[in-house]
Amino acid sequence: MKRVISITGIFLILACDPFVTEFPDSSDPVMLKAANASDITYVYDSLAIKVVTWNIRFGIGRFPFFGDSCGDSVIADDRSVEANMAAIADAINALDADIVLLQEVDLESKRTGYLNQVQYLLDNTYLNYGSYASMWEADYIPSDGVGRINTGNAILSKYELTDAERIQLRLRTDQSDLIQYFWLRRNIIKAKIPALSQSGKDFFAVNIHATAFATDDTKEQHINKYIEVLGNIDAGGGIFVTGGDLNSVPPGSVIDFCESDMCVNDNFHTENADPYHKEGSYFENFSGEPDLLVPLYDTYDAAIDTASYNLPEHFTHAPSTSMIDDTTVTMYDRKLDYLFTNGTWDSGSGSTDQSAWELSDHMPVSATFMPVGD
Amino acid sequence: MKKIILLCVFNGLLLAETKSWDSHSAYLLPQKRWEVGLFQPFRFGYSETIEYSTFPLWFFVMPNASIKRIESDMAGFNTASRFKLVYPTPLLNMLARAKTGGMIDPNFQMPPMLGLSASWLMSKTIFPFVSPYSLIGLDLTLTGGLDLGITLGDLDPRSNIDLPLVYHRLGIFYNKWGIHTGLDVQKNLTEKIRVLVDLDLRLLPGLADIQINPDLAKLMGDYSLEHKLLLIWNKSDRFRIMTGYKFVKGTYPYGSDMRLLPYIPMMEKWVPIIELQWAGKRAK
Repeated sequence: MKRVISITGIFLILACDPFVTEFPDSSDPVMLKAANASDITYVYDSLAIKVVTWNIRFGIGRFPFFGDSCGDSVIADDRSVEANMAAIADAINALDADIVLLQEVDLESKRTGYLNQVQYLLDNTYLNYGSYASMWEADYIPSDGVGRINTGNAILSKYELTDAERIQLRLRTDQSDLIQYFWLRRNIIKAKIPALSQSGKDFFAVNIHATAFATDDTKEQHINKYIEVLGNIDAGGGIFVTGGDLNSVPPGSVIDFCESDMCVNDNFHTENADPYHKEGSYFENFSGEPDLLVPLYDTYDAAIDTASYNLPEHFTHAPSTSMIDDTTVTMYDRKLDYLFTNGTWDSGSGSTDQSAWELSDHMPVSATFMPVGD
Repeated sequence: MKKIILLCVFNGLLLAETKSWDSHSAYLLPQKRWEVGLFQPFRFGYSETIEYSTFPLWFFVMPNASIKRIESDMAGFNTASRFKLVYPTPLLNMLARAKTGGMIDPNFQMPPMLGLSASWLMSKTIFPFVSPYSLIGLDLTLTGGLDLGITLGDLDPRSNIDLPLVYHRLGIFYNKWGIHTGLDVQKNLTEKIRVLVDLDLRLLPGLADIQINPDLAKLMGDYSLEHKLLLIWNKSDRFRIMTGYKFVKGTYPYGSDMRLLPYIPMMEKWVPIIELQWAGKRAK
């Protein structure tokens, strides 16, 4: 009888998984391993550690997706997704990174052919271990034909990841309850990499994707939480490399991209415009937003330093369908992606790989971490 | 003995009428009797050998009709054949829309699609002991059949709706054909209350082969197992209430999944099925 009750209980619990997954403040990410992972091949050799951050836009390249560009497309075709994911894997292999921080990676989402992109990249690069934290997971999004969705942040590494944690970021407050229920739940993902311990200090990788479209103070809350998480590692004597898509421009940058991001029939910056600014294209929604990243630059070592962060060669993003004229795509026009460490980057190693502009609407930023001496 | 015979006759008369509620059995509605439910089709006993049914609320966006016909008894079973026809194109094109309510990418135009289904139904009362309508007996129905999905134009596989109950029913249009089989068991708990347990299997053989790139989606969802348990209170021969649950397990393009229904997303909880049904008889 007990067995029947147990089986019935398990059946009821499994059959009643949430339709939309919500997360506690702290939870365990999904851990993955490459099919051909080799612990022997990748023993840390005490040399420099290459780190990359890249928002890969769920492997759809410059596809005119309705949600983040002027496009109206929703479901990418399988062949394009596979070709683009293969190109992303090649690009990661070419960068020869030890740690890759990815944003907007899809797992079994309808829009990208139900491919597990984290597993795909692990199986098609020399990276062996992965940790994934979803920011949008639902059985079904009943809007625009999106359907099943699971997308989020991932840390990929040559070396084994342990103590991984998904840290929930505050939800937007400028949405109705219904929209918020089906909306993104952004997060920070943190993992320890024991093989990279530096002089007895624990080594962490931390990845964030902050809000893009909030018009309230959500972005400030996200960056503050990020600073808090990094501060805790630092205070605990740990070493970290961190980065992600902060959806924030550097201090001193242009803050209003509404005109360049505007789509046909959009109406912004006019008397009757409501909202006045385009969501995600304006970077002064609250007091102090343009200087939101100053504490990070003041406290930690940045891969792209203050002297360079507003130079065009370090721009990392432009909306995928943004055009200069009828035939010329805007490849990049702002910097949103960053790398920091509480250790030291190899001087001059910070780089933005703008040649990858066709593979996503963001470009990878990379730098080489210098090992801490004894 | 006289009391037992009288009880059996009374019982038989009462439940003979309720037996005609069984839409999934090989039994037909009596001639001129009609039935309709919140979620069940409108059914009409056209003659002693033919019954028609349709989902009236859906009819204008998804024209549908079915006919059930009595066949010769087989191996002690009452036997019937059922033929269904459905034209889901208008409804699917309504669901292919931008913004809230869009279940299908609005870039897809659904072509004319015609679903045909042929079923063979066999029903029998087993373990009757005292009478065919006693409280002890079980009503058993076996079903099996073939589904065909005819599409007049290109149907993009990405236009699927990967939800339980829906995915495998629409799957016949992507796969061109499917098989269904099922088992229904009903039992009287009291004179007014019955319990229904059913198990249905839907197969879409070879569905994985139609995937353009099999490397990306090895599981295309080629089966669905549905189970339902209902408690049915026959208030009279004109009204009844049902409550229970439906359980669905199957494979989908993203893998295997199971779900207890009905499920309310924003409440994140299962709620019982509530179904009301009415019946009547058209004057001859």
